[in-house]
Amino acid sequence: MITPFHIGLFAVSLCILVTFLSFLKEKDDLHKLILTDLAAIMALFIIALVGTDLAEALILPGLVVGISKLMALAEIYLVKEGIQQKKNSTVLDIEVLDTAPAILAAILVIYGIILSGFSGGAVAGLGIIFYLAFKKHDEKFELIETVSGYAWVTWIAAFFIFLIFPSQWFLAVMLAGGGILLKVMAKFSLIGTMRGDPGV
Amino acid sequence: MIQVFDLNVEGRELFSLSFGDIVPYFSVYTGALAAFVIIFILIAIFSLPERQMNIAFGGDAYYAKEVNVPDMRFSRFMAIACGAATLGAMVTGDIFNFTLFAVMVGITNIGIVAASGNKHVLNAAFQYGIVAMLATVPLFGGAALILATTGSLSIWVLAGAGVVPLLAKALLVLGVMGEGIAPLYIGKAEIIRAQGAPYVLMIHFSSLLLFLRVIEIVLVI
Repeated sequence: MITPFHIGLFAVSLCILVTFLSFLKEKDDLHKLILTDLAAIMALFIIALVGTDLAEALILPGLVVGISKLMALAEIYLVKEGIQQKKNSTVLDIEVLDTAPAILAAILVIYGIILSGFSGGAVAGLGIIFYLAFKKHDEKFELIETVSGYAWVTWIAAFFIFLIFPSQWFLAVMLAGGGILLKVMAKFSLIGTMRGDPGV
Repeated sequence: MIQVFDLNVEGRELFSLSFGDIVPYFSVYTGALAAFVIIFILIAIFSLPERQMNIAFGGDAYYAKEVNVPDMRFSRFMAIACGAATLGAMVTGDIFNFTLFAVMVGITNIGIVAASGNKHVLNAAFQYGIVAMLATVPLFGGAALILATTGSLSIWVLAGAGVVPLLAKALLVLGVMGEGIAPLYIGKAEIIRAQGAPYVLMIHFSSLLLFLRVIEIVLVI
């Protein structure tokens, strides 16, 4: 009896055949490197064909080892061809960290504001750590200090409202939540400026 | 029903941890392999890099090669990581975990030689990496076929049942051959006599032990 599994296995076998034939044809090292990714995806296809929960759980580790191997190979290729760039500006010198921080930081800060309170401050602070760690951070300390000061004032004001006008508790909760959001965010974001530079 | 320890390959039971479906176990065989790995990890931790002597032809002169300390430190870290991955492959009772550890051994093998600045060595490492990457297809393919035909990946459950198809076993062995082929490539680059002598030992050792373990798995399941 022919099940969908057998049809899928046949299709994947054809794909694997194509992959291996392409390896026979290809002579250029860079193209071979790209084709290895194709081979890794084929391995995941076979696992995915099984189609059970266990198989689903196996795909992620399979993908991770495949990608890490591809990254190691790409690094070897760069060194081998002598085309790596010699700049050691940050600890994590990866291309995506030049472009991603602004977007990711914005998303994290907006999500943190929606969460509000302590956990919201932590999330938004993470966004700012991320931004400051990989972008220039000169002359932003004063802004952080100012914001932190106002946050403290808001927090104290909220406590006074709690004590003096208990009927306005909702306003006080909002003020305190916003204040602690800014406070935690400011504290967290200082971590992002620690890059081991002298005098920081 | 036949248990793991009734089989000839394994020898006496030393230890087994009933942890649900997947049972990590030590028989005399796998226990001995694991003990060897631990010894070699200790060797990688405590040995100092070899300082090689180059002899100038046509005279009595010889000179010592420079040893680059950060590169050696990276090699040593990778050798220890390779030992840890090998240990995982020896201890695990799950076929898919075994394949994952085999791939990790491949990655760390590349890492051990990566610190060498020699173009020929890097070229050999690159070619080995491509073979090892291709080997993930039969390796994962074999594990996936075992899962598809038997519904389990546990060596403990599959032991002695004889339900695993020959094709899946063949693919598993083929995959481990691809991952464990490193010594051939590295022998080709003559890195045995290149810098980093105590650490490249781990490449040969991990490859040998992967073969020994996959033979045990194929005979048991």
